Amino acid sequence: MAIVAQQSKFSKIFWPLLAWAVAIVFFFPIFWMVFTSFKTDADAVKPEFLFRFTPTLENYTNMTQNYDYWRFAINSVITSVFATLFALAVGVPAAYAMAFNPSRHTKDILMWMLSTKMLPAAAVLYPMTFLTKNFLDIYDTHFLLIVVLCLINLPIVVWMLFTYFKEIPKEIIEAGKMDGVSTWGEIKDILIPLAWGGVASTALLTFIFCWNEAYWTVRLTTTEAATLSKLIEGNRAPEGLFFGRLSAVSTAAVGPIIVLGWFCQKQLVQGLTFGAVK
Amino acid sequence: MANRSLPRLLQTPAVILLLLWMLVPLSMTLYFSFIRYVLNSTRRPEWTSPSLSNWRGFGNYEYVLFNAKDFWFAIQNSVFIVSSILVGTVVLGLILAMLVNRTFPGRGIVRVLLISPFFVMPAVNAVLWINMILDPVLGLNGIAVAGLNNIVDGLRDFPVLGQFFSMWPKFEPISFRATQTSAYAVIMMVTWQWTPFAILIFMTSLQSEDESQKEAAILDGANAWSRFRNLTLPHLARPIAIVVMIQSIFHLSLYAEIEIVSRGNGNKNLPYLIGEFSSNNIGAASATGIFAVILANIIAIFLLRMVGKTLMD
Repeated sequence: MAIVAQQSKFSKIFWPLLAWAVAIVFFFPIFWMVFTSFKTDADAVKPEFLFRFTPTLENYTNMTQNYDYWRFAINSVITSVFATLFALAVGVPAAYAMAFNPSRHTKDILMWMLSTKMLPAAAVLYPMTFLTKNFLDIYDTHFLLIVVLCLINLPIVVWMLFTYFKEIPKEIIEAGKMDGVSTWGEIKDILIPLAWGGVASTALLTFIFCWNEAYWTVRLTTTEAATLSKLIEGNRAPEGLFFGRLSAVSTAAVGPIIVLGWFCQKQLVQGLTFGAVK
Repeated sequence: MANRSLPRLLQTPAVILLLLWMLVPLSMTLYFSFIRYVLNSTRRPEWTSPSLSNWRGFGNYEYVLFNAKDFWFAIQNSVFIVSSILVGTVVLGLILAMLVNRTFPGRGIVRVLLISPFFVMPAVNAVLWINMILDPVLGLNGIAVAGLNNIVDGLRDFPVLGQFFSMWPKFEPISFRATQTSAYAVIMMVTWQWTPFAILIFMTSLQSEDESQKEAAILDGANAWSRFRNLTLPHLARPIAIVVMIQSIFHLSLYAEIEIVSRGNGNKNLPYLIGEFSSNNIGAASATGIFAVILANIIAIFLLRMVGKTLMD
């Protein structure tokens, strides 16, 4: 008995300490990026200033001048917000239909939607460039990015909403129908208020995915609609002398999203595993 | 039944949009993969626009499979990168999920710190790691190795131990910009980014584990390893399979990291190779694209089978 007690005292201290240590190691690269963003470019590469330096905000105040940050950031906001809204506008009715009026084919349709997510983007790279550049003339526009971001996230949106809607008792919706409420009224006045949490977290997660998308945003834009992914990708060169300013612009690009992400950890599991892990 | 038809129609916009998104570009890729189609050619200007008269049959596929020197390397490298990431994330994810799945002070903060890397945009992830952490001169990699060399240098002056330390070689920092090492760099940064995802899923699953079964095992004298081996691991089999397959799909189309870390140094995966072909040889790019679709489908079939079982319950 004594041995057991001793062991549990040891593990009471050791395991939490180890967990803390690992968490700090994992977070370190992000910490280091934020930390370096307060150094001047010259200080950032000098080993003697690794931890002792005079903090400065100049990397942030010069961000517009160095990188034209706000233009890219605004493009990111516009494309991500509208792509999310469109995906919801198309996804909510679809998920409503599937959850409350399922047919024999509902399962197959959902599966097929998921399978579109598995199409490798690179396989259709040239046709997309060709269509949008030569044929539709929408290459490097916000419109194009919004459509593409909306479509690549639509399967996940429908899926997440479907799993939330399924939790709502059918009788509530049926009761609305008895009272003569229209389909639109059912969605607007009954479904959305009831599933508000689910809709909100779906929106949040979709927004994060749009913001971080780095294939189409890089390959389908040049200047006009270029997002933050494109900005950072364009500065990939070993710019040893610019660690400070690069860190600042990176911090500004990922900071808000990391904070948003903290709020939807749980939904992330459901969204990315299609409800298969509970 | 008439009042059912309208609600059902509401799914058509989503279906039609996705159908267009899938069919239009993909059928174009299929078409281009069977014709001679290059963007620049002074010798054969008729090849610079897509047309059925440039029909090449399976010529592009043959070219990609047997003559393009990078194709097999790219496949091999894709598989190597994806499988290394999978092993890394699953092993680390399992260990860390078990570590965090107990109550201790500050657990919430630990979870927040652990999940954060997942939300870093891929472009920032790559730029951050390759420059500030892994650069052999200016990054922490270079600084740490230089520091180590300094310490060894200092120890050489000691009376007795100095003999021992003077036999030590000077350490060289590894450069992560060569063909092979930059693949390691990509593996490292993606593993860092996706381990949180594995942790999150395993933790969710661990919380539904049957505690009474575990307590019974403790009373029966089972040690920690056999409890893990015989109870926890079987319980996690399904989440592990799901993590493996979802990540396979995401990482087979890894692009930003390769582009940023390895541009021009020969380290490439399938999407990167397609990007390279796309700058001129569209026929070859399309044939490679079709191969990528086939590869993704093989994995997708397994995933859909697995997810499909629990879909409607």
